Amino acid sequence: MKTIKVNHLARVEGDGGITVEFDGNKLTKVNVDIFEGPRLIEALAVGKTAHEMNSITPRICAICTVSHKNASVRASDRALAIPETDKTCSSRELMHLGEIIESHSLHVFALALPDFLGYPNVIAMVDKYKDVVVQALNLKKFGNRIMQILNGKFIHGENAVAGGFGKFPTKDELLEIKKTAESFLDFAIAATDIVGGLEMPTYLEEETVFGCCNPDNKNEFGYWGDSIIISDGTIIPALEYKENLIERVVPHSFAKRSLYKGKPFNVTALARLINLGDRLQGKAGEFYRKYRNDRWTRNPFFNNLAQCIEMIYCLEKIPVVVDKLLKMEDTEIQQPTRMDGRGVGLVEAPRGLLVHDYTFKDGKITDCNIITPTAYNLDDLEKYIGIAAKNLNDAGEETDTIRFELEKIARAYDPCISCATHLVSVVKK
Amino acid sequence: MNNKPTLGIYGFTGCAGCQLAILDCEEQLVDLFEAADIKVFYEAMSNNDDEAEVDIALVEGSINTETQKEELLEIRKKAKILVAFGSCANYGCIQTMAYGDGKWEERFKKVYGDMKFTVGKAIEPQPIGKFVKVDATIPGCPPSTQQMLMAFTKLLNGYMPVYPNAPVCLECKLNENECLLNKGIMCLGPLTKGGCTAPCPTHNTGCVGCWGIIDEANHTSELKLLIEKGYKKEDIIRKFRIFGGNNIAEKIDELLEVVK
Repeated sequence: MKTIKVNHLARVEGDGGITVEFDGNKLTKVNVDIFEGPRLIEALAVGKTAHEMNSITPRICAICTVSHKNASVRASDRALAIPETDKTCSSRELMHLGEIIESHSLHVFALALPDFLGYPNVIAMVDKYKDVVVQALNLKKFGNRIMQILNGKFIHGENAVAGGFGKFPTKDELLEIKKTAESFLDFAIAATDIVGGLEMPTYLEEETVFGCCNPDNKNEFGYWGDSIIISDGTIIPALEYKENLIERVVPHSFAKRSLYKGKPFNVTALARLINLGDRLQGKAGEFYRKYRNDRWTRNPFFNNLAQCIEMIYCLEKIPVVVDKLLKMEDTEIQQPTRMDGRGVGLVEAPRGLLVHDYTFKDGKITDCNIITPTAYNLDDLEKYIGIAAKNLNDAGEETDTIRFELEKIARAYDPCISCATHLVSVVKK
Repeated sequence: MNNKPTLGIYGFTGCAGCQLAILDCEEQLVDLFEAADIKVFYEAMSNNDDEAEVDIALVEGSINTETQKEELLEIRKKAKILVAFGSCANYGCIQTMAYGDGKWEERFKKVYGDMKFTVGKAIEPQPIGKFVKVDATIPGCPPSTQQMLMAFTKLLNGYMPVYPNAPVCLECKLNENECLLNKGIMCLGPLTKGGCTAPCPTHNTGCVGCWGIIDEANHTSELKLLIEKGYKKEDIIRKFRIFGGNNIAEKIDELLEVVK
């Protein structure tokens, strides 16, 4: 029997590993092990108010802090029938675009790209790729700056709450954001061509299923909506996600797992482009059409390229959102119009579909269920790790090579293990 | 080259935001990699040396499994100076909000059922100071860039970081904000460690207490004040607990006695 183990996945958020076992040439076990200890956030949520939830749940994960914030405020708004003003809606969108930029630039350049260029970390790339590294870090910093302006801090800000914002950005801050976005577009385009020019491995290709949020406006790309769209054309209303994306517990992971019609599915940026890419316009649309090919639905490595195209989208979208915001008056934080109810907030975190599902009674949480993109992605990741391990082993590759390739696949999903571990409870009180 | 201090950055359970805050020092990141010989930093590198002895160990996260506890004890043995890095490591942060209520196992069962895990035995989350001696702290949820870089500079040059023992209110006043308590917004600034530059009160949202409780915090006085302002006792105590960690757990009975 041969075992290949990655004890500690590097260049990902949180603590996870991979175990693959062979009996002769037969693959007998594929586990993505999640060691990160459980925090039981859903159980601790019971008895909390909406605004308290808006402060607690972003702490599930630092790199998805704004996605958790937006999922939390959307779930709260829906459960307690809190109106969303146009100013609030656009401000939430701007903040979200900041997080997508920050997270994608970190993942593509600092976490994934070293794999393809043969470096142990991004700093080691400086000698040969100084311009790319410096620009990438500056782009990441810009994403942080947007979140800091909109949410008060770049990690775990408290400015955005159910019903609105404590304080909206000033005109000068908005103009600074717009100008900076425009200045990064050329870099994002050049970076897309760098990543688009890389050869993606072929040892793991097989079709899979893709799911993402279905934006309310049917003609637009976007990062939230009140239903989920699956690549087979199925639309799942937000309130029915649980019945359609079935969860289960496995012994090698503190993160629960999910299946769609009994099959693993992918919810990464790649899923968004596969389901909604035809709606992209401008340069983002141009580069989507330039690089889209039929390998995308068979190869999770294209997530890196999908994230690059999304960075172009965000940089093109930001000036549009800023122009809208500049024409709007500030609005007060809106209050609940009822104290009992259930609400599901669906958003697209940088690494995929995120669900916050809250039920309130007398203004306090009685049930809470949170499902993170990494939890959704884990089964799909295990599937591809299995395919790759078998094919590489059959091809006679060395154990070290196989181990490195498997880790590379895990990183391509941009996993966030902090997020994945909490999961998913139905707490009845 | 070989005279550089060695540094290990280790993560246990949390949001990974403190390690991310290091990566968020975009401009100084290259300097940090030059100033220290970084042996372990899983979130950023793949060439990690787990066995290495280090001059400085930055430990992020709370301890949530038996395996993590053992790993922490190993890090203590390998490190000359062990630093509790961020709120989870320092006082437990949100995962300890119900610490000591005796219902942790019940909550665990509600989430995971009877599954027997192969990835370590889960335990009630606790800050690292419960298991090992902590030599220095860097507070924050996550630490602020400015305060963190100041602490790194000191540590890498052989000094211990020290911080003014002042609550969030001090920085809030420096920002010339009107006190939120006068505007009818609940704020835990008076009880909470400063150093964050008071971004939340500056945005009209009350301090939630995420940097942890300041030394000699007067919870009794804040509780009485908030009750006078018309807030309900149970709402105030719940707020105290969310970011109060096990520090507040020890005070709860006393506080309830005051407002009986």
